[in-house]
Amino acid sequence: MSNVALAKTDQPLGGVRWLGMHNALLLLFLAGLVGIPLLYYTGQISIETVNMLGRYMAFAIVAVGLDLIWGYTGILSLCQAFFFSLGGYAMGMYLAHHGGPGGMVDASGWNIPACLYVVYPYKVGEAPADAMLPWFWKPFYTLPATVTLGLLIPGAVAFVIGYFGFKSRVRGVYFAILTQAITVAAWLVFSMNSMKLGGTNGLTRFDKIAGYSLADPDVKMAVYIITLLCLAGVYLLCRYIVGSRLGRVLIAVRDNEKTLRFAGYRPHVYKVFAFVVAAAIAGLGGMLYTPQMGIFTPANMEAGMSIMVVIWVAVGGRGTLSGAILGALAVNLLYSFFTSEKDFILFTWKSEYWQFVLGGLFIGVVLLFPKGLCNIGRRFAGKH
Amino acid sequence: MLKRGVLYRTGIILLLQAIWLFCALSARADDAVVRADILRLAHDDPAVRREAVMALAKTGDQRLEDFLESYRMGSIYIWKGRPVLCERTIMDEEMNELAPLSDPLTRRPLMNNGRQVVVPVAELTGISPTRRERRLAGRAKFLLRLSSPDAAMRLSGAKKAGDPPGIVEAVELLRELSENDPDRKVRYTARESLLLLRLNERTAGPEAEDRLAVVRELGEMKSMRALPRLRELLREITGKDHGAEGFAARPLRTARGLVRSHGAPAADSAEQVYRRAIRQIEIHQGFVDYFGSIFQGFSLGSILILMALGLAITFGLMGVINMAHGELMMIGAYTTFEIQRLAGHTPDNPSDWYYMLALPAAFLSSALVGYLIEVLVVRHLYRRPVESLLATWGVGLILIQLVRLRYGDNIGVNAPSWARGGIEVMQDIVLPYGRCFIIVLCAFCVLLIYYLMKRTGLGLRMRATMQNRDMAASLGVNTGRVDRYTFAFGSGIAGIAGYAWTLIGGVTPDMGQTNFIVDSFLVVVTGGVGELLGVIFSGLGIGVLTKVLEPATIGSFTVGAIWAKVLLLLVIVTFIQFKPAGLFAPRGRLADE
Repeated sequence: MSNVALAKTDQPLGGVRWLGMHNALLLLFLAGLVGIPLLYYTGQISIETVNMLGRYMAFAIVAVGLDLIWGYTGILSLCQAFFFSLGGYAMGMYLAHHGGPGGMVDASGWNIPACLYVVYPYKVGEAPADAMLPWFWKPFYTLPATVTLGLLIPGAVAFVIGYFGFKSRVRGVYFAILTQAITVAAWLVFSMNSMKLGGTNGLTRFDKIAGYSLADPDVKMAVYIITLLCLAGVYLLCRYIVGSRLGRVLIAVRDNEKTLRFAGYRPHVYKVFAFVVAAAIAGLGGMLYTPQMGIFTPANMEAGMSIMVVIWVAVGGRGTLSGAILGALAVNLLYSFFTSEKDFILFTWKSEYWQFVLGGLFIGVVLLFPKGLCNIGRRFAGKH
Repeated sequence: MLKRGVLYRTGIILLLQAIWLFCALSARADDAVVRADILRLAHDDPAVRREAVMALAKTGDQRLEDFLESYRMGSIYIWKGRPVLCERTIMDEEMNELAPLSDPLTRRPLMNNGRQVVVPVAELTGISPTRRERRLAGRAKFLLRLSSPDAAMRLSGAKKAGDPPGIVEAVELLRELSENDPDRKVRYTARESLLLLRLNERTAGPEAEDRLAVVRELGEMKSMRALPRLRELLREITGKDHGAEGFAARPLRTARGLVRSHGAPAADSAEQVYRRAIRQIEIHQGFVDYFGSIFQGFSLGSILILMALGLAITFGLMGVINMAHGELMMIGAYTTFEIQRLAGHTPDNPSDWYYMLALPAAFLSSALVGYLIEVLVVRHLYRRPVESLLATWGVGLILIQLVRLRYGDNIGVNAPSWARGGIEVMQDIVLPYGRCFIIVLCAFCVLLIYYLMKRTGLGLRMRATMQNRDMAASLGVNTGRVDRYTFAFGSGIAGIAGYAWTLIGGVTPDMGQTNFIVDSFLVVVTGGVGELLGVIFSGLGIGVLTKVLEPATIGSFTVGAIWAKVLLLLVIVTFIQFKPAGLFAPRGRLADE
């Protein structure tokens, strides 16, 4: 795998310096923090646009996590969407607890949320009135517990997968296929009505978050700002990790695991660490995504979703962190641009053509810009 | 019906013989009698009406099946003293409701001066059956089937006659069928239904001696259909014992055989007879289930092998993570659909040869697409396996969308008519022809690949290139061309898998992503990359394991399809822990890569 070394160990920032990427990112952050609210409050953009940007930033958080594990540690994980969904479901359960009308109160006094109640909350043979709130819903009643669990559960799942996988030295492509299989299994399980997570309908009918109505534009703006701050925080955390001595070991795992092992390190410890951090970050992304989307379904962990995360990072440029953010935002903005119908003079652009753009993006990035957008400048400048 | 005349005696005899033959062949009763019976359906007396329904049923005239259905729907009318069929009315310009008439037996329009007879609705008298008659007519339909010339129809009639609530009127015909029918399965089913009907008779209690004889015989026949009813009756017997005899009878239970049979020690008690029969059937059922699981496992395994064979070449041998593999299968399936469309094959108007033609077509079209993918994309990525994952996923997206734009989201591939049904190798064990065909096809593909790889010059060059590209090139192998052919060949095998899939599953543009890609990769990884033999073992293993897990129960919890899949994934994940390189790990220098 040494041929995919994008950044030399002595220069972990890769091509970032060429554009003054630090400054560019800072500008982008300030634009998001000040510019977007300004545009909204002066009436230039609608709250839906802000909401949409917030969702894309939640995706960017997941992408940063993947960049840590893929770009720096060299492990292609195809279950980031699963971790994202674990966080999303955690937040979804919290929001459903405080959701809209409907549902019913069970025998022990817990309110069964409406979205759960419509999808078969009771066992076969029981009367609808016998339904009880499943035990695993109960911890998600308060926001602090939800946030904690939304980070811990993906982390714990990642620990189990990573510990057993890395310990027995499942590598490269095999690990990717393994994680994809796990995601598919999880998707099947979460789609079942008997799991009492809303089946394929997912969790919906949200109403309030921390006592504030989600329909209120100011609350939406607040959630957006929080997402942006979380993104900045996650970026700084990962930047700190990769800049530390620990980060050097991660890069060493990517570039030559065997040599590292001979040098007395135990690579699987570092791999598990990076994997767990990436999973918790993905869970955070999911938690921020759910209130802005208003619904969370198992479709978020279909096999294609994890690969989407990979393409965000690949488009931006792996092993740069900032590239992951740029890639996620760019691909998603392209998505919202190309999925609206447009009338050109000779033909009408239809939303279903987006798949061609996306497919072309996958191929084009891999064949033409294997180092991503962040490195295009370097490529043209002839530097390597 | 026929006026006898001395002069025409010979001719009349011949004619009679012809009519007899005609009747025997199509079981068609005399039209006039049938029409008279139909008229009696409009009689005021309900008893006469019911009698008429049964009389119709007993004629055995197959045209009456459709007629009875129309009768149940209330589409039969009397017009000028004759029965007519009118399925829907039409309105003329002045909003008068008019009824186009057809013949109730032939279902052809009634013609007058070359045009269909259309009369005002007011001229028709409806024959609307009551609920009871409607039910009776429903049963009469199956009674009719008992005298059908088609064995499959007789079978369905015989089965229906015995299923609850049962058709008592069928007893005579069933007895006839159980003795004289040329088809063994029909004889068996008729006999079974006959016994089931006798088992259901309310005249005697469940312990009457002739009833016990029926139970014994059903046990001997290993009749699975009788099982629920026998269990029910057993519950009745044991329940009654508890009620009537109470605690006082308890000590006698072990010796009940002696007590109950009035001093005849050899005879069994009723309960024992029932238990033995149920036991016999249950053993048979267990065997059938077991055999069924194994066969289904082999069938699923052969599909998995077919899916994975192509991938074993493109991924296993060439090292390309070909995420478009599922889409190549999809192209094979759509080629099959396209050939079917060109051949004009529909269930009503089958032209089965299309399916044979579709096999090479599916192979070639997928191989062509694979060739193009190799030339345009994969060629540049041989040294970057992870990136080939992304690029081929993109290729897959484009292929899906192209197909979706052309064909829409759902199409129906109709299996050729020979793939319907199956051979019954043993009682109750039916091997569907479609599944058998897939197993044969799978074996054929395996042999084809082995022949190609081990016995041909191209195969030799393929193996050389995959083992050591540079060395092969230096010895004069055109490795670029070998790559293209190998990839195209693997893709073509994927096309064959898609072609086989049309026999058993739905065809949608995204079938590759949702159904195949993960499974195929798991089979290849489990089997060990780079070894075709591994694919066969892991495919069969995964298939059989899935089908054995599915019906398994843990306490009151049945595993079912989804949990079986999850469990299986866990098994594979655990397996890979211990043998990260799969069942047949590559040895030597290859293992290090």
